[in-house]
Amino acid sequence: MMLEKRERSLLGLASIVIGFLFIVLLKTQGSAGSQVTRQETAVPSLIQTEQENQQISTDNERIQQELTKYAQGQSASTLAEQQLQEAQMNAGMIAVVGPGVQITLDDSKRAAVGQEDPSSFLIHEQYIREIFNALWNGGAEAVAVNGQRVTTNTEVFCGGSYIQINGTRQMPPYVIEAIGDTNNLSSALRFYGWDKLGDFQQQYGITRKLEVLKEATIPAGKLRDYHYAEPVKEGT
Amino acid sequence: MHHWKRSLALPVTMVAIALGFLISLQAQTQKNVSAAEQISAERMSQMKLVLSNSQDQNTKLQEEHRVLLEQLDAARKKVGTDPQLLDRLKQLQILEGTQEVTGPGIQISIDDRNKNVLFPLGTDDIARMINTLKFAGAEAISINGQRIVVTTAIVLSGSSTILVNQVPINRAEGIPYELDAIGDQDTLLDYYSKLEAPGLKKYGMTVSIVRKTLIIPSYKGAYTFKQAKPVSS
Repeated sequence: MMLEKRERSLLGLASIVIGFLFIVLLKTQGSAGSQVTRQETAVPSLIQTEQENQQISTDNERIQQELTKYAQGQSASTLAEQQLQEAQMNAGMIAVVGPGVQITLDDSKRAAVGQEDPSSFLIHEQYIREIFNALWNGGAEAVAVNGQRVTTNTEVFCGGSYIQINGTRQMPPYVIEAIGDTNNLSSALRFYGWDKLGDFQQQYGITRKLEVLKEATIPAGKLRDYHYAEPVKEGT
Repeated sequence: MHHWKRSLALPVTMVAIALGFLISLQAQTQKNVSAAEQISAERMSQMKLVLSNSQDQNTKLQEEHRVLLEQLDAARKKVGTDPQLLDRLKQLQILEGTQEVTGPGIQISIDDRNKNVLFPLGTDDIARMINTLKFAGAEAISINGQRIVVTTAIVLSGSSTILVNQVPINRAEGIPYELDAIGDQDTLLDYYSKLEAPGLKKYGMTVSIVRKTLIIPSYKGAYTFKQAKPVSS
């Protein structure tokens, strides 16, 4: 198609204007997007710092209180004894008693038939870990499973036909006990994994039982030796 | 008067329509964007102010914390506490996590921002990795600066914020996740690289593990016992 000169220049001009507008449009759209992300990244770091500040403040207060005791000239041995007692309690090295909950998990008595997945009939180590997590989240003060006190170093690891906990072999049924506010503990258990276990109970016959205990007794854990980690010496 | 070719009428009309549409769209977005930009800039500057205040306070508190611990150490020494008892206390404090520790270990960096990653690293993944490190005999563990202790819960808040010890650990800058573990480097490296790294890599994440002398911070939260009472023996 042959165009006259005037027509050609008209079309060319229009194309240039359109192209220009497109680019401006894309740019404004893009800058609007990046504004949002920049702001969104600032929020988590703020919350993070604020939370940490609060934690350090609490800890500073605790140390201050301890220093005050020293300044008041309390007997050194009494104070050291108190501290040791406190640290043992925190670390889970003392048997404790109190109100709590008991959760029983057990493999199904029924075997898988046909298309059913055999693993749905068993209690897996992940369920135990999920329940621990929920219990701590609900403010548990002490937790044990099959008489093994859960401490900072406790592993819940699948060893095939058994589950390794604190280096010991544990077999089903798994009885988890936790001391704490029973209402908080019970409501903390209402999470996805717990409901899923309820479904497995109905479909495959595993056991998932929750009982509220007026008094649960949780044994002391074992203190381990540390070969690699050393306290960071302050100010030296 | 100039005579227009018929064949040109259609393209020119189309161009005119497109042009009109674009101009109106452009005017609209420009208006929206400049308004949004203004609000956003105001918010940003406020946010930055609050954040820098908060960070200043953090530095101050950290310093205060360090000085207080120093004083405490000195006070304990002054009253002549039995060194054996102090050793046991240190050991217990490593276990409860209130003691900052240093030692050989491995540092694991995980990046899940890759486009191929369908599901970013979740709370279950973090819990499983920590469990594996415990199984490998780790003596102290932290993730993004939060010490893992017995009461540590790892939970999701909202759609993507991960809380560890009730503190959000998501990072705005750098590698999203950094997992530190002190212990036997060979065992830690062996277990982690065999049991955990392949799965994450399969999902498109970038995982790097280095041997390092680490400093793992103390747990800053508090243990409270309201219901649990020591069993009197």
